[in-house]
Amino acid sequence: MASVSVVGAVLLLLVLVGLITVALALRHRLAFRLAIRNVRRGRTRTVLLVAGLLVATTIVSGSLIVGDTVDQLVVHYSYLGAGFNDEAISAPSATGGNVFYNYSVYTQTVSLAGAHPGIAGIAPEIISGASAYDLESRVPETGLNLIGVNGNQSTALGAFVADSGTSLAGAAPGMVLVDDQAASALNATAGQTLVVYGIRSAPLTIEAVVQDNVRGAFITGGLTPGNLFVDLATAQYLENATGSINYISLTNTGTQIEGADASPGIAAYLNTTLAPVLEPYGLTVQTPLKTSLDASTQSGTSLVTLFLALGLFSIVAGAVLIVGLFVMLAEERKGEMGMLRAIGLRRRELVYAFFFEGVIYSAGSAFAGTALGVGVGYLLVYLAGQILAFEIPPAVFLQSFTVTGESLVIAYVVGFLLTLATVIVACRRASRLNIVRAIRDTPEPPPRLRTYTFLAYLGVLCAVAGFLLFFGTYRGSADISYPIIGGSLAILGMGLVAARFLKNRLVFTTAGFGLVVWAGFEPLHTDLLGTSHTGGIFVLFVTGIVLITGVLLVFVFNAPTIARALSHLFGRRTDSSPVVRIGLAYPTRQATRTAVSLTIFALVVFTMVATATFGSIASASLDSTVQDQTGGYSLFGYSQTPIPDLWGMISSNATLAPLFSAGVSVVTASIDVNVTGFAGNPYRDQMYAPPPNTTGPSSFYATEQFSFAALWRGMTASETWSDLATNSSVAIVDQTYGPSSTASSVTGTTAGPAHPSVHVGDTIRIATIRGAQPTALTVIGILTTSSVRGVWVNPGVAASLGYGEATGYALTIAPGVDVTHAEQQAKIAFFPWGLVLIDLKAILQTSISTTEGFIGLLEIFVGLGLAVGIAAMGILALRAVVERRREIGMLRASGFTQRMVLQALALEYSFVTLAGIVIGVGLGLLVAYNLTVSAGAVSAGFGTFAVPWVTVLEIAGIAYALVLVAIATPSLRAARLSPADAVRSTE
Amino acid sequence: MTEAVVVGQDVWKVYGSGNTAVPALQGISVQILRGEMLAVMGPSGCGKTTFLNCFSGLDDISRGTVTIEGTNIHAMSDAKKSEYRALRTGFVFQSYNLLPILSAEENVELPLLIAGRSAREARAEARGILNRLGLGDRRAHRPAELSGGQQQRVSLARALVAKPAIVWADEPTGNLDAEGSRDVTTLLRELNREYGQTMVVVTHDGEVASQCDRTLRMRDGKFVDGA
Repeated sequence: MASVSVVGAVLLLLVLVGLITVALALRHRLAFRLAIRNVRRGRTRTVLLVAGLLVATTIVSGSLIVGDTVDQLVVHYSYLGAGFNDEAISAPSATGGNVFYNYSVYTQTVSLAGAHPGIAGIAPEIISGASAYDLESRVPETGLNLIGVNGNQSTALGAFVADSGTSLAGAAPGMVLVDDQAASALNATAGQTLVVYGIRSAPLTIEAVVQDNVRGAFITGGLTPGNLFVDLATAQYLENATGSINYISLTNTGTQIEGADASPGIAAYLNTTLAPVLEPYGLTVQTPLKTSLDASTQSGTSLVTLFLALGLFSIVAGAVLIVGLFVMLAEERKGEMGMLRAIGLRRRELVYAFFFEGVIYSAGSAFAGTALGVGVGYLLVYLAGQILAFEIPPAVFLQSFTVTGESLVIAYVVGFLLTLATVIVACRRASRLNIVRAIRDTPEPPPRLRTYTFLAYLGVLCAVAGFLLFFGTYRGSADISYPIIGGSLAILGMGLVAARFLKNRLVFTTAGFGLVVWAGFEPLHTDLLGTSHTGGIFVLFVTGIVLITGVLLVFVFNAPTIARALSHLFGRRTDSSPVVRIGLAYPTRQATRTAVSLTIFALVVFTMVATATFGSIASASLDSTVQDQTGGYSLFGYSQTPIPDLWGMISSNATLAPLFSAGVSVVTASIDVNVTGFAGNPYRDQMYAPPPNTTGPSSFYATEQFSFAALWRGMTASETWSDLATNSSVAIVDQTYGPSSTASSVTGTTAGPAHPSVHVGDTIRIATIRGAQPTALTVIGILTTSSVRGVWVNPGVAASLGYGEATGYALTIAPGVDVTHAEQQAKIAFFPWGLVLIDLKAILQTSISTTEGFIGLLEIFVGLGLAVGIAAMGILALRAVVERRREIGMLRASGFTQRMVLQALALEYSFVTLAGIVIGVGLGLLVAYNLTVSAGAVSAGFGTFAVPWVTVLEIAGIAYALVLVAIATPSLRAARLSPADAVRSTE
Repeated sequence: MTEAVVVGQDVWKVYGSGNTAVPALQGISVQILRGEMLAVMGPSGCGKTTFLNCFSGLDDISRGTVTIEGTNIHAMSDAKKSEYRALRTGFVFQSYNLLPILSAEENVELPLLIAGRSAREARAEARGILNRLGLGDRRAHRPAELSGGQQQRVSLARALVAKPAIVWADEPTGNLDAEGSRDVTTLLRELNREYGQTMVVVTHDGEVASQCDRTLRMRDGKFVDGA
């Protein structure tokens, strides 16, 4: 996951911190001894502290391990899928697959490059699609990979291994090797006869069922669809391509790793050496294994980014807890610290004592956190395996579980330094005590004017920095986080300046509302910032932090008013209740402590609710837009050879006729799309050209039910399609071409301009994938579907590009017919044409359940933050028993029963917890709602706002219940205090 | 003849057990009369505070009986004891024990609310007694914003506001300077006369004791003089 240089740098940092600590400890021995004594004297407290501090490290460690595992998983499939195909010579064809070229290219390749010392073997191949029918099992299967290669020419690619354990070089003439995946789909075993359909068909005997090893799993990695391996001549026959091939595989010397490493150099050599041979055919040299391996690292990194970004909330919550804990430690030791200062200990020594203590806690908690992160990582990997079981065997997930030393080192050092940095901030705050007030245990006075003046200067700096950041980034394509941060800093800065002159409550309430409106009112972003900003998951973090800061400011500076309002709301009886008075007095009048707890809870609940609602929105949007996504069709498909008159054949087939109500054919091919201003031109996409028949069940125009996200010049949907049917200068595009999406930015589905963006009326240029026949078209409509992706053109345009035959299909089943049954019957009937059908609705539903599963996984991960909240509440409650003994004693002396003490404490912690939960839920839903109304929300699949109320209630209920459990023991201890002992208590 | 409000018979309080047993009260018998202002004096560690805690019902006793207004306080359940304390007793402590998060007025209101009075009544009575004690202009202040003497006055107001039958005061002037001490003692005396409440004042300050109707002296957990 991490490069050696990064590991080296963090280790160096750790050593540096270690050396500085040792040097300081030698110089400030008394402070060091104090720290050691403080760590030793309260073991329970030390355990609690370490538990509270380890969260950040656990999150970093768990995230990195998930990344390692995903890397390993993708690497596993890269090695399997690419095998020993280090370089490949091919060119993509417009209708999918590769273009065929003369076998002589292979012989020339061998003659020009075969002597290269880095090349171990060169194999000519045909790679294509095929259907097969097992005569014994009577099971048909379409969409299989057909790989034609001679065993004697492909020894460098490795041997096939039959399920019986026998090694095979390749399929004998008239025979076929079937990989495990295809054998399972066909219910096939060795010795059975398989009729294989390419452009032509042939009965072939299954020579063996082969394992999905590096040879048998070529291309797919052993996943769907399966593979059929035949000798080259058989493949040429099936594809009607005698004397041709469409793929040359080159294997480098050495292991797969060595081969991949050498690949770029050899590819460059081949490109130069073979240029005269390849150019006439438009062939290029690719590096399949190397490219696949490079992409695999990217997959892991993306996932680590996602986990870390969501984990940031818990990390911040943990940091707030650390500050809270240390301030509390300082309060607990105020008397003794005051005495130490009184007898001559310098303030600096106190800071060092705290620092050393913090170093010990940080080192211990980072160690524990790293170890716990391994467990968390394993749990996440296990759960991910269960969620994706329909695609990847769960055992493969667990086998890929990887913990690299680099990740552990990085997690430890990052966790240690994060904790230590927070501890240092907390130390400085903790050591700023007045000796007399500390000894007498009297509260600190309110800040003096000088403090406000200092804060005002800080506010000016903050505001200036904020305005600069905002005006530097509010237009253009910068990350949208920057203008949001800029605006927020400006609001906070102005608040700090105003606090110098006006009342705190007025100023910070206004600033709080300002932040909430600024970060939470989506139309403000669209109007002020436009829609061209990029972003990622980090936007969610920034927005969340700004919103929570805003609400907390409003809450903390208005807590007594809120408490009074609540008392009045629940009636006079509540107002007169001493339990309510006491229960609400502590959280509403101890602003700092309440802010700590609220921040932690609000952050954690916000993340959990936002994550759950994002998932719910994604699912609901997919669900509610199935009609839009599918255009009302039940099945989409393509065939290897064109099916002449699809609907005529369906109508005349007694089995099929009652099953289908419509069946349309569409010309489809791969094209290159050029959009002005798009950095990634040309963009490879699919083209669809519906034939011009405009009535009846075979007419696309009469049967489609696609809806539009944007139409040109007030045209209706039917006018737009009619225009396309008759006009060769227009095009319709899918929703992914819509304006760039804030929704995508927030959810991180785009990391930049990866897809061209157009408006209706814009001109796009399409061409064949070789750049031939460029044609300018005006976009007259943007569809709401993002599932059927591509550019819709007039058939005349398709013909001008050289594509006239329809190989794409869309079918609508008759009412009451089972879609699976209809699909099977159609596949059987059109088997000779190699019809592959896709149940888009089923795919969407699988996507919904996968999304829900993945969101559940993320919820568990972000739920780690709950541990911080629970720890915070438990520690606060423990501390409350100690520091409020006398007050509790006085209450008991005044007539409070044990039950009333319990009730007051329960109310106090309930108030803080529930307030945190309400803030978190409210803001989580707000951010999720904003997603659904942001620009391009529909195209990003977030068009429907749906609140997962059950999940939200579960989150709130579990959080609240855990807090009650955490405070139960300390509260019972408080209630059972003897009043006589308590009133005399001096801690 | 004035009736006895508090009657203690052979009251023992022993901390610990076996070899480490420490008898803090050793068979004390005493009667405290209604409306009486009684001082309990003695050297540190003689058992003064233990006496107050045990006779007021804050702490349990090891042996003997304590009846207050005819009821055996130690035979009551914890809830009953709490109710009794809320309705019939008030406490003043050396360290004031005010709730720091409540204002002076809210601290004074608390016993009334515990006793089941309405918020409006509690507020009116709290204001009345704070005015009476010269703290009318300090009622919205929190304890940390008041001087020691002022805090002890608030503490007195809290003890007296529900008009309890007995007020127990444990070193009420212990944290105050001479002037503050005189001030509080005078106030206690005035209030005792004004409201006719029984007051038991544990103190080692002769000045305070001199203001009381009767003084009991303790040594080693026993009354040695005046009982």
